[in-house]
Parts: sequence; structure tokens; C-alpha cells
Amino acid sequence: MSDDRRIAKLPTGIAGFDIILEGGVLRGGIYIILGSPGAGKTILGNQLCFNHASRGGRALYVTLLAETHGRMLGHIGQLGFFDESLIPDGVSYLSAFRILETEGLKGLADALRREIRARKVDLLVVDGLISAEETAGTPREFKKFIHELQIQAELADCTMMLLTSAAVDQNFASAEHTMVDGLIELQARLRGRRSERELVVHKMRGSDFLRGVHSFQVTADGIAVQPRIEALLSEPSRPILVDGPRLSMGVEMFDEILGGGPLRRSTTLLMGAAGTGKSTAGLHFLGAGNDERSIYLSFDEAPAAIRLKASVLGLPVSRLFDEGVAEIVWRPSTEGVLDEVCAALLDQVRSGNVQRVFIDGINDFVQTTGDQSRLAQVLTALTNEFRALGVTTLLSIELDFNGIVPGQPLAGLPVLGLSPMAENIVLMRLAALGADVHRLIIPLKVRDSAFELKFRRYDITGRGLEIESDSVQADVVLSELVRQTGVIPAPFGSLAAAPSGDEA
Amino acid sequence: MRTILVVDDEWAIAEVLEALLSDEGYRVIIANNGRQALDRMSEWPPDLIMLDFMMPIMDGKATLAALQENPRTAEIPVILMSSLPEETIAQRCTGYSVFLRKPFRIAAVLDVIEKALV
Repeated sequence: MSDDRRIAKLPTGIAGFDIILEGGVLRGGIYIILGSPGAGKTILGNQLCFNHASRGGRALYVTLLAETHGRMLGHIGQLGFFDESLIPDGVSYLSAFRILETEGLKGLADALRREIRARKVDLLVVDGLISAEETAGTPREFKKFIHELQIQAELADCTMMLLTSAAVDQNFASAEHTMVDGLIELQARLRGRRSERELVVHKMRGSDFLRGVHSFQVTADGIAVQPRIEALLSEPSRPILVDGPRLSMGVEMFDEILGGGPLRRSTTLLMGAAGTGKSTAGLHFLGAGNDERSIYLSFDEAPAAIRLKASVLGLPVSRLFDEGVAEIVWRPSTEGVLDEVCAALLDQVRSGNVQRVFIDGINDFVQTTGDQSRLAQVLTALTNEFRALGVTTLLSIELDFNGIVPGQPLAGLPVLGLSPMAENIVLMRLAALGADVHRLIIPLKVRDSAFELKFRRYDITGRGLEIESDSVQADVVLSELVRQTGVIPAPFGSLAAAPSGDEA
Repeated sequence: MRTILVVDDEWAIAEVLEALLSDEGYRVIIANNGRQALDRMSEWPPDLIMLDFMMPIMDGKATLAALQENPRTAEIPVILMSSLPEETIAQRCTGYSVFLRKPFRIAAVLDVIEKALV
């Protein structure tokens, strides 16, 4: 047999899963799929069989459990991948429960060998491996059974998937774990009141794979796997160079405070409390692209509300929405999956030749994962890929720093490790002076460009954002704040946690 | 019924081959090393030997030499099995009929058996 044949892969037919497995599993290999009851093993096993059969292969699904096939198919039959016409030639079912009960592991191994040959199957799924393990008199006997299956898989060129609900050995040092070619774990866990399903590849012999915890969902079409986006995009798809030209933010003074406007392919991070006008700035930004295709990704505001705002303010983007040049993608953060949101956004950017993207409220990315520690990595990977694709990006983040802190204009500024991913960082904040609340804007970072590190006052008028041409009024506001409160401002001393010092 | 002697120190491989070849209508005897194989052959010489190259106690090379020295066994066709490339094996020993590279598929096994038994 040639070496080429040894490394041939068998795709699972589940797009995201094949990406994680870098093409699929090894043909003639043997794999254990672990997971607690309800994790999705049976659906996955059946889906693998039907996907295989739809490509012309032949699969055998063997159950070692007392559950009837009719009952199982009653559930599976509702899912999109199920195709009755593939039964029994493409996918056949066999209950080996009685064989295991009466003839033990030896009888089971013999039966599997005969059935594989007789039915000419090249994919075998054994559901309920735990029953076989419980039947084994000793761990050694079970190990011998797995070894025999491994040799059968190899000899018959039949890929084997063994599904088990056995408790996961934390070190994956059990004999069967060390023997098989791959170990895949399905998990269903609760985050708060929300249930999340996760897939982890612990081992994959003879092949690289995307490590870490990936999300999956059981949809009407079956299992859909979303590779961990930061692993998938660990390197951008092509070299990136943010070297201009300068683009417009759609507000003249905004361009000025950014040293002439953001460079093409750059990322600008807009930070501010609710009501500071971040969304309005985003609408200006998209409208300034003229006929460049653009996307507004919203987690909170519905498309109708966004279009209404653009229309009321008479912003150029309103026309672009009407003409379909600018598109609003609304992904309420209540039940979304971070990786799926990112993957879908990237697909739209790639297929639509999108040049500008505004993501309104990156805090909501956290809502879609429940794991805040991923935010910086995910956004770094995503914005790098956007750069590679020629996209200029504006991100807004809502900061709960209680914008009205007399005497401490920048107090409590969290940046969540986001600085490295953005060429530009702009802070929009509120400052109360007597009964008046003033809006102030300041660029904190403009990479590779001279810029004035000063606040300017701005307003949201009937025409959108209007930023003052100098810092005179902002100076007055902040000086008066000091006079009234007696607190000496520490304008940048409080930036200890702020972006690292690679500003120009 | 043709008899095949399978000699492999990896017991699971020997057992699976025994089962698969029995399904195909062969009588199969298994042994774990060359010494055991020679002992078994003294009772009932097989029609074909499937011999692993690397084994403890008495390896494939020594077993092949012993087979060729004995007029009763010198003419028995031998399928030599190894995970090493054939070129490497060919430099180290002679006397086998067919080489079978591990890991192998059952279709390839049946094919070489058929050819060796002609």
C-alpha cells in the first residue's frame, strides 16, 4: 500500500468540523467521540453516516444500547441530513446489543468484522462503547478489543467512530485513549442560564488540527460546527500593510483629529458611554465611503431604527442603505454564537467585496460567548483578516465609566487589552458642568501620525456629529470643572491601564 | 482446504488475520515467532506462510533461513510482512515469495495470497 493512501482523509461533510480537522479524519483510522448523554453524539454519528453515503460511501451504524432503531430514527429523521433513500444501501443499522450480551467482546468483534465485509462498508459508527467497556472483564480485555478493532479498521480500510458516554479521563491516559487515532469530545455546559455546546479535539494522529474549544449547535439541518475564530484566523489570509491612502470619517473635524482620517485597512476603536454618539459616528463613517460596499453590524438596534436615525439626520448613508450599497446586519446578542457571528460576517465581507465595516458595540461579542477573555484575541484576529481583505474598520465599545466624573476626565478607562488591534483609538465622553452636560472627544492613539492630544467639544445636531475646530471650549469646560470641584485633573495619569505607548 | 500459517508477534494482527482468512475458507494456524512457527510446521506443513519480519526469539530472517535449510519446508511460499520498505528488507534477507508492506488492506492480503498459492 502506498504512503499516499495512508494519509488520505475522509471528510466528515460538516464544513466547520472539516476545517477543524484540516480536511477530515484519516481513512481506516479509529476514533473515539466522547460526551455526556445529550451532548449530540448520536446525531453526529448519524450525520457522519448520511454525509458519507451521500458521497457514495457505505456506512454501518451499530448500536450497543437497548434503544430501538425506530426510536432513534424517529428523532434523527427530523433533521436535514437524514435521507431515507440512502437506507439501507448507503446507511444500514445493526443492533449488536444481544451479541454483546451473549457472546461478549470477542463475539462483537467477530460480528463487526463479518458485517463490514458483507456490507462492504467503509465507515462504521459504534454507538454505546461504554456497554462494551462494561462487558469487559478487565481493562486489559477492553484494550484488546479496541486493538482488534483498530487492526480491523486498517485491514478493511474502514474508518471507525466509537461513541461513548464514559466519563472523560482528564489526562486522556486510558488505554483506549492512547490507542485510537483521535479523541473528540462533545460538551454541553451551562453559562448562567444559557446552554452552550462545545467540541474539543484532544488528539488527532497524523494530522494537524485546530486546537481549543469550538462551538457547535444542533440545528434543523443537524450539527453545525463553528471553528474557534481566533484559531482559524491565527494568521491573516494574505499579508497586511496599512499604508493608506487616508479615508474620511464623514465628519471633517473627525478626520482632522485623526491626522487626516483613518488609513485604508486600519481599525479605529471608538470608546464612550451610552449617548455619546458612537452609532452616529458609525453612520457618518459608512456614508463617507460613497459607493464602497459597507456593513453595519448591530447587536442592539434593529435595522429599522438605524435607517430611521440615518434618515432623520439626513446622512449620506441613508441613500446607501436604500440602494443596498450599505447593509445592516442585525445579530441580537441574546442567543448568538460568537464564532458563527464572525464567520458569517467574514463571508459577507468576502462575497460582497465590502470595503468598510462598522461593528456597533463590541461589548456584545462577549454576550455571544460568555467568555470575556476571548474578546481581545477574537477582535485581533477578525480585524487582521479585515485588513488583509482591504477593509477599513470602525468598532465602537460602550464604556461604563460613568462619563460624568468631575475633575477626572479619563478616570476608570478600561481598554480590555484592545489597544494593539487598533491603529486609532478615540474616546467620546460626557462632562457635567452645572446643569449642562458637554460632549468631549479626544484621540488617544493615532498610529504613525501626528495628532493633537486634546479634547474638543462636540454636539449631536440635526445634521449628525459636529466637532469644534479647536479645543478652546473643551478647555473652558474642564478648567471650570476643576474650579468647581477643587480636584486637580489628572488627564492622562489615569490612563495607566490605557493603550500602550505606541502612539505617534 | 488450504492451510496458511500466520506468524506475527503482534497477537491482535495474527488473530484478526486468522478470523478474516477463516472467513475466506482457509484453515489458519497462528504463531508468535519463528521458533513457534517451526514447531507448528513439524506437525502439519502449511500451504503458505505469512511471516512478519521483526519478531522476538526468532525473527523473519532467521526463520526464512531455517525454512530453506529444511527440504520439507524449502518450497513453501512465504509472504514476508513488514512496515519497513521492501528495498530495506531485500538487502537483508532472501527466500521469500512476495513482500507485503504494513499496514495493509485485506484486499491486498487476499490478492497476494492468491498469487502466492498459484
